[in-house]
Amino acid sequence: MNNRRFARTAGWLALPCLVAAGLLAWYVTREPATPFAQAPATATFEPALVSRGEYVARLSDCVACHSLPGKAPFAGGLEMATPLGAIHATNITPDKTTGIGSYSLADFDRAVRHGVAPGGRRLYPAMPYPSYVKLSDDDVKALYAFFMQGVQPANQANIPSDIPWPLNMRWPIALWNGVFAPTATYAAKPNQDALWNRGAYIVQGPGHCGSCHTPRGLAFNEKALDESGAPFLAGALLDGWYAPSLRQDPNTGLGRWDEAQIVQFLKTGRNAHAVVYGSMTEAFNNSTQFMQDDDLAAIARYLKSLPGDPQRDGTPWQYQAAATNPDAPGAHTYATRCASCHGLDGKGQPDWMPPLAGATSALAKESASAINITLNGSQRVVAAGVPDAYRMPAFREQLTDQQIAEVLSYVRGTWGNNGGAVDVKAVGKLRGHTDPASSSPIILHMR
Amino acid sequence: MNILDELLDAPVNLSRRRFLASTAVGALVIGFGLPLGSGRVQAATTAERGTQVPAFLEIRPDGTVRLLSPFMEGGQGTHTAMAQIVGEELDADPATFIVEAAPPGEAYVVMENGMRITGGSMSVRMSYPTMRRLGALARAMLLQAGAKQLGVPVGELTTQPGRVVHAASGRSLGYGELASSALNMPVPDPASITLRDPSQFRWIGKPVKRLDAYDKSTGKALYSIDLKVDNMLHAAVQHAPRLGMTVGSLRNQAQVEGMKGVHSVHVLPGAVAVVAERWWHAKRAVEAVQVDWQEAAADSTLRVMPADFSSDKHFEFLAAQQGPARDDENEGDVAAALKGAKTQVEATYHNQYLNHGQLEPPSALARFNPDGTLDIWLPNQAPDMFRADVAKRTGLDPAQINLHSPLLGGFFGRHFLYDSANPYPQAIALAKAVGRPVKLIWSREEEFLRDVLRPVAVVKFRAALDDKGLPVAIEAVSATEGPTEALAGKQGDKIDPTALEGLSGKSYAIPNKRIAQIYVKGAPMLGYWRSVGNSLNDFFYESFLDELADKGKQDPYELRLHLLRDNPRLTTLLQAAVELSGGWKRGPFTAEDGSRRARGVAMASPFGSHTAAIAEVSIENGKVRVHDIWQAIDPGSIVNPAIVEAQVNGAVALGLSQTLLEEAVYVDGKPRARNYDLYPILAPAQMARVHVRVVESGEKMGGIGEPPLPAVAPAVANAVAQLTGQRVRSLPLSRHTFS
Amino acid sequence: MELRINQKAYQVDADADTPLLWVIRDDLGLTGTKYGCGLAQCGACSVLVDGNVVRSCVTPVAGVVGREITTIEAIEEDEVGKRVVATWVEQQVAQCGYCQSGQVMAATALLKHTRAPSKAQIDAAMVNLCRCGTYNAIHAAVDALAKQEGA
Repeated sequence: MNNRRFARTAGWLALPCLVAAGLLAWYVTREPATPFAQAPATATFEPALVSRGEYVARLSDCVACHSLPGKAPFAGGLEMATPLGAIHATNITPDKTTGIGSYSLADFDRAVRHGVAPGGRRLYPAMPYPSYVKLSDDDVKALYAFFMQGVQPANQANIPSDIPWPLNMRWPIALWNGVFAPTATYAAKPNQDALWNRGAYIVQGPGHCGSCHTPRGLAFNEKALDESGAPFLAGALLDGWYAPSLRQDPNTGLGRWDEAQIVQFLKTGRNAHAVVYGSMTEAFNNSTQFMQDDDLAAIARYLKSLPGDPQRDGTPWQYQAAATNPDAPGAHTYATRCASCHGLDGKGQPDWMPPLAGATSALAKESASAINITLNGSQRVVAAGVPDAYRMPAFREQLTDQQIAEVLSYVRGTWGNNGGAVDVKAVGKLRGHTDPASSSPIILHMR
Repeated sequence: MNILDELLDAPVNLSRRRFLASTAVGALVIGFGLPLGSGRVQAATTAERGTQVPAFLEIRPDGTVRLLSPFMEGGQGTHTAMAQIVGEELDADPATFIVEAAPPGEAYVVMENGMRITGGSMSVRMSYPTMRRLGALARAMLLQAGAKQLGVPVGELTTQPGRVVHAASGRSLGYGELASSALNMPVPDPASITLRDPSQFRWIGKPVKRLDAYDKSTGKALYSIDLKVDNMLHAAVQHAPRLGMTVGSLRNQAQVEGMKGVHSVHVLPGAVAVVAERWWHAKRAVEAVQVDWQEAAADSTLRVMPADFSSDKHFEFLAAQQGPARDDENEGDVAAALKGAKTQVEATYHNQYLNHGQLEPPSALARFNPDGTLDIWLPNQAPDMFRADVAKRTGLDPAQINLHSPLLGGFFGRHFLYDSANPYPQAIALAKAVGRPVKLIWSREEEFLRDVLRPVAVVKFRAALDDKGLPVAIEAVSATEGPTEALAGKQGDKIDPTALEGLSGKSYAIPNKRIAQIYVKGAPMLGYWRSVGNSLNDFFYESFLDELADKGKQDPYELRLHLLRDNPRLTTLLQAAVELSGGWKRGPFTAEDGSRRARGVAMASPFGSHTAAIAEVSIENGKVRVHDIWQAIDPGSIVNPAIVEAQVNGAVALGLSQTLLEEAVYVDGKPRARNYDLYPILAPAQMARVHVRVVESGEKMGGIGEPPLPAVAPAVANAVAQLTGQRVRSLPLSRHTFS
Repeated sequence: MELRINQKAYQVDADADTPLLWVIRDDLGLTGTKYGCGLAQCGACSVLVDGNVVRSCVTPVAGVVGREITTIEAIEEDEVGKRVVATWVEQQVAQCGYCQSGQVMAATALLKHTRAPSKAQIDAAMVNLCRCGTYNAIHAAVDALAKQEGA
């Protein structure tokens, strides 16, 4: 967990070293424009608005970063390790002294959509405001109503970052924002229907899917923030997991999934192709399963419209029955450790144990997800309040780096899989900076 | 309770199959003829222990002998051993026996130390004469009955297996024909009984086949977890993540109550339970319960697990303890010897926490009967203690509690009375709450959360070598808490022997020695684990002894022989192990397969027996591979060599497991492992070949189940040190890297 | 749903994702198949499905509808299984016995596929855990069975 937002923040932390001084101070401390600058303060909100805001908070998965298990909802505290020091998600309960209780709607808007706290202090873009900027004014208002009235104030002081001066200066982030952070809310594409536009809105905006699934540039900026850029949702390595392509790539993306399967996956955590794991378990447990069916349908519609890239993705996978060679490196480990669930034929037991034949993790060049889940097992998938019947065990205490490299190379080279061999050093590296998943369900509450 | 009640009350799938087999109940009562009436048993409690034949034995018309054993069968073979011992004197082939665990009761307190437990490798050695006498008493009663029935003087009768014989007339009667009259006769005066001359033994000392081999190879053997009674519900629990925490509120009780198959949701001390028609429903539902766990109250009577407890930090904490220490052994003048010594050697060792990992997860089946009595089936190693505890918890009189002790799916110390680590209090509470019988099973994850741990110690050694390089003084100060101290929650007036055994009690002739304990209470609840204190302390001592040998330029085998020069028993034993291994060959050497190997030797004297072990190791892909263990054991004398050999194999396996890979790691007050995935136990591929030699010195009988374990770890560690030059001072070896 | 277990048909009312193990144990009362870990780690729950050894704790019951399931209760009705049991008794393999149902199933599956397995094949197939440490006895028993067949 500690490392999971590492990549998302590292770019800006490096930036202070790269930028020249001399840019205008007003630029880096100015407050962005907000349509709510003149909005009157509101004492109470309509329950329907609060409830609408709660749904927007689910879409936006605020809870995943701003809450810790067993602690007050939204009181902050999640540690995000960076090479320069740790930063912590902040208290966003309406507590007046330690939270955001004194925020006006305009303050709230500037923070959520533009990454600027009252007084002009820039937030680290670990807060996905480059995506949240697309939130509609109505959704921001609703979200504000929820945080002011639907969340219990919790008096819990924010944990200061460990990052030393001068690297902890925030103003250079404003320059980064100027280059990489858009400033406009989502604008519907008139040539697309309402369903598609709703899907695009959720995926690009509150859902901030690109935070994990879009590859990042040198400044750790997402290379594309909407479908106009080919890298958008094309798959990315982040914090020891490879978030696969969400485009129409048959191998590394959703090319073989139909819309109903996408909806099923986001709603129940599983379908015939895959079961959520890694960071997606948190996204599922806290966010996607709570989305309304029409919103899930919209997401599916939108994702199905993103073309794949045959050059990147390669020849579409087809199942090939394995010529069983029990002496192949990794074959025995597979037979004894993996086959009980995933089958000697690699076909799994859908929808409970996913197939490894044709699995993204076995077709993607990046082997991180395959290694990570093998070392650490799966977090519990909690669907509709009920933890999963079956979970992936952690093998870090049973298999050596060499054995894991061999068995994953076997998996990634059998049944038509062509992800390629796994490097034993990559296993050792991930072993060193990851921890096993908890076998207890982790539930984050919003109220 | 009469026999009819007992039969009708038995679990529907545990109804004494062989006796019942398609027979009408009415016929049974006649057929038995020898009711195991508790009234009869209790009426006889004034008699000398182990003499109340009817409490132990039933002989059915076909001659089958049913023996109620004071000891629990959990794989160690005690039921077969009891059949051998009793059968030898009864003159009945052990193969005709059916052995089950006896209920609680004074009648079955047969151990010479006045206890009745199954543990400490004590069953056979502490009851051997008594159980022989029991068989002989029963035989005398059968002879008496035979004399009456045949109308001849008892002196003219003899027995052959299963029969009373009147040689003069050629007439004979099967035991089954005589049983009903024989076992209603008064028990003869024990003093009048002559036991069989050991030279005439037919079954004792022979590799008699285990009685349970077939049932256990065909799934017919029933364990607590398998039992079922009419109208029974199933239950599963979710325990507090840290011991001592309590249930605040349940966030989603209504949702869980609405889940398929759920009967009811219950809040218990430190746990939430779901009762359902199927265990799987109960398990899934209880996992879904969202509990707001509260920190333990300041006055909690439990051993509260702190939120910041870390096992690794605890080792540092133990290492930093300076005292005060209490001496267990102090001979000569260690301080002076150290001061005047040519060479001083110091080293610090520690071990790891361990789980029991018995393959059968704990369970308990509780049923309240209309007459207010309680039947409870549960795994246990001490039925009287468990019944007393049930009585205390329920307010019932012990006589109202029918406690049943099914087969144990492994135990290794897991099923003693541990306040926080047994499911039966929960099962009783749930059965009471729902008004129906309840079987509660702890999932493997809940078991790992509440299992009691094998203790840890940090031991600081100092030793002095003379100018010949021979040890003249040794001091071991152990910062630790023994399991008995943990159960008491405090240090006793005397040192907990289970804390230091294996450091104390060594037989080496070192003139100056001091063994002491710094009592340090830890956070996790501790328990007994196979070989208890010896499981860690012999590793420390025997490894350090090799360090002394190395430092003094002595061969470790020769050094041990030297230090045992006045001890012929242990000298013989050590030589037997070496001979078994084909002669002392320390290495390193190149084996036939081209691997570089070395051997190590170690000894231990646990539980009344003595052992010497030699290990041969190599390094494969940076990990230690143990190829062979040669072990000689001297338990004085034995009852069943085949079972002894099996027990040595089993103890070696557990010894290797703790040496190579096992470790219960705690982080933030929680066990990192909740199943075998993160707590691997020895797998078949990691097993060594095991070679056993039993040396029957004829000395007082010692234990078998535990003694072959402690010498394994130091023998392996000593071999590894010889092979790699790396001295291992902590376990498991998987924490170390070798090249 | 209908299950075929030990050559008999059973009507079972269970959720599709219920592990076969618990259907066998709780619904059908066949308790010879053991629960050890629920995580495919120990093998105590091994049964045969169409002659292949399967860990029933990680086998959703819906996946075995229409297939032939054999549990330890019927193992002696199988020629190979009968020999395995006889050898298990002869070699005195069991200690506590809790894992042995699974071990017998694994051995039966191995010998049904490979009449005279080599030592390496035995090692590869006999991977179930045993806390009592009967591994050498298990290996010796399977080896004896292999030799009977090879002779």
